[in-house]
Amino acid sequence: MQMPDLAAHGVPTPPMLRHAPEGVEIAIRNLGRSFGGQRVLVNLDLDVAPGEFLSIVGKSGCGKSTLLRLVAGLDRPTSGSVTVGGLPAHEAGDHLRIMFQEPRLLPWASVAENVAIGLPRGPDPRAVAEALEQVQLADKAGFWPAQLSGGQRQRAALARALVSHPGLLLLDEPLGALDALTRLTMQNLIRDMHDRAGFTAILVTHDVAEAVALSDRVIVLGQGGILTETRILRAGPTTRGSAELAAIETGILDAIFAR
Amino acid sequence: MSLTDTIKPARTRAGWRPGLPPLQALLPYAVPAAILILWEIAGATGLVRETVMPRPSVILATAVQMMLTGELFTHLGVSAARALAGLLIGGGIGFLLGVANGVSRLSETLTDSTLQMVRNIPHLALIPLVILWFGIGEGAKLFLVALGVFFPIYLNTLHGIRNVDPQLIEMGRAYGMNGRRLFFRVVLPGALPSIFVGLRYGLGIMWLTLIVAETLSASSGLGYMAMKAREFMVLDVVVLSILLYAALGKLADTLTRALERRALKWSPAYANA
Ligand SMILES: Nc1ncnc2c1ncn2[C@@H]1O[C@H](COP(=O)(O)OP(=O)(O)O)[C@@H](O)[C@H]1O
Ligand SMILES: [Mg+2]
Repeated sequence: MQMPDLAAHGVPTPPMLRHAPEGVEIAIRNLGRSFGGQRVLVNLDLDVAPGEFLSIVGKSGCGKSTLLRLVAGLDRPTSGSVTVGGLPAHEAGDHLRIMFQEPRLLPWASVAENVAIGLPRGPDPRAVAEALEQVQLADKAGFWPAQLSGGQRQRAALARALVSHPGLLLLDEPLGALDALTRLTMQNLIRDMHDRAGFTAILVTHDVAEAVALSDRVIVLGQGGILTETRILRAGPTTRGSAELAAIETGILDAIFAR
Repeated sequence: MSLTDTIKPARTRAGWRPGLPPLQALLPYAVPAAILILWEIAGATGLVRETVMPRPSVILATAVQMMLTGELFTHLGVSAARALAGLLIGGGIGFLLGVANGVSRLSETLTDSTLQMVRNIPHLALIPLVILWFGIGEGAKLFLVALGVFFPIYLNTLHGIRNVDPQLIEMGRAYGMNGRRLFFRVVLPGALPSIFVGLRYGLGIMWLTLIVAETLSASSGLGYMAMKAREFMVLDVVVLSILLYAALGKLADTLTRALERRALKWSPAYANA
């Protein structure tokens, strides 16, 4: 919660990543996913460029989580393919990380131990400390998750996701359960980390303003496929609230509720 | 000791109740102390005859005397060893089967319905059969205690493993955990609170079974001590052995609680406990 826009307040920025990884590229071809007779995704095509920040919005139940889980390799397509950095999604392994609406921290592991789960090659106290510092949780390393606030828990989950410097970060409504103020600070933090680390990001959200504020491109999902897509060119760091963005937001909302 | 009172919910502060005055630490002992004093007076004044209920001071003197001869420790040690061995065998098998059936569908399909059927037989009903099988040797008592302890630990281990938060398991898999690592980092710690419930239930059954088994057929142990004393009408030894059972039960429960608090210190229910 005590997480104002870092640069704007002249707070010294946390240490840079030791090696800035490349964002990975995603190619989705002819993707279909059905549950029983219900066709949730139908012939969906989508490309995401390395380092791009893409948001997915759409009505509840339209298949946003299903799409994200397919990209994460947690689920397999009924038809078509998803490749992440040239590999089938389920083989992408440590190149991608996913964050859920719930922090999903292990209650019996300290904050630092939870972050260390993100390291594929065993614990590395320096990397963990660095990741915790980036999410402003350095002083909570030894705490139990139960001792953190909701926002702090999500920050710990973000540190766990990013400690291995993944090429792709998937976010499934990660801020949905947070209060409005905490959400704003988390949005800044995520955008900040993205700008600094250069990973590709896909954010699923029900908050169109959030999608517009964070991403380079917003797609509206519906009827099994992509209804519209909107590119957002950001001139400066804080265009939030401008008339231009408000117009974009209205356009996207219209697309969501068109049918 | 009843079985239900071993499963108290974790201690939490009831904030709505008014605070206690100073010296509160002594309050829980006030009633037992009063009972002891009244009991002593009733015995000393002849209100209650020694042949009905010996006085606390007489029981204490007997205890001291039996400690000096070493007889008390022999019986105590034998009973404690039986309890521990039965617990380790029955609890160990129960835990392993609970884990196996929680993790493997094949194992569960193969064994669970059989176990559920056997569970409906009160294990003490097997005493005549067990004596026929094992005579009155150690085997009979171990078998009964192990069988009694087995079920609560088996059932609660299975329940705990089946009810581990699936979201955490999905997280573990997404972070590349599988097999052994997933089990030890996510599944087992998640099942631990339930396993402790099973252990505490099991301890209650353990003492109960041991008392019955030792009273029916034994040549050593607290139950034997009580039965022999009854034959010779040595009432203070009878009462003493009952008190010792209570003390052992309390000790086991206290140790388990301490272990539980340590193992589950991450849980808000045990915070600052
Ligand atoms: N594992 C599953 N089994 C059956 N149906 C599912 C499963 N996962 C998702 N669905 C269905 O797919 C549809 C889209 O779900 P989801 O992707 O979670 O929507 P949302 O856009 O709200 O994230 C829903 O109708 C849901 O019922
Ligand atoms: Mg969803």
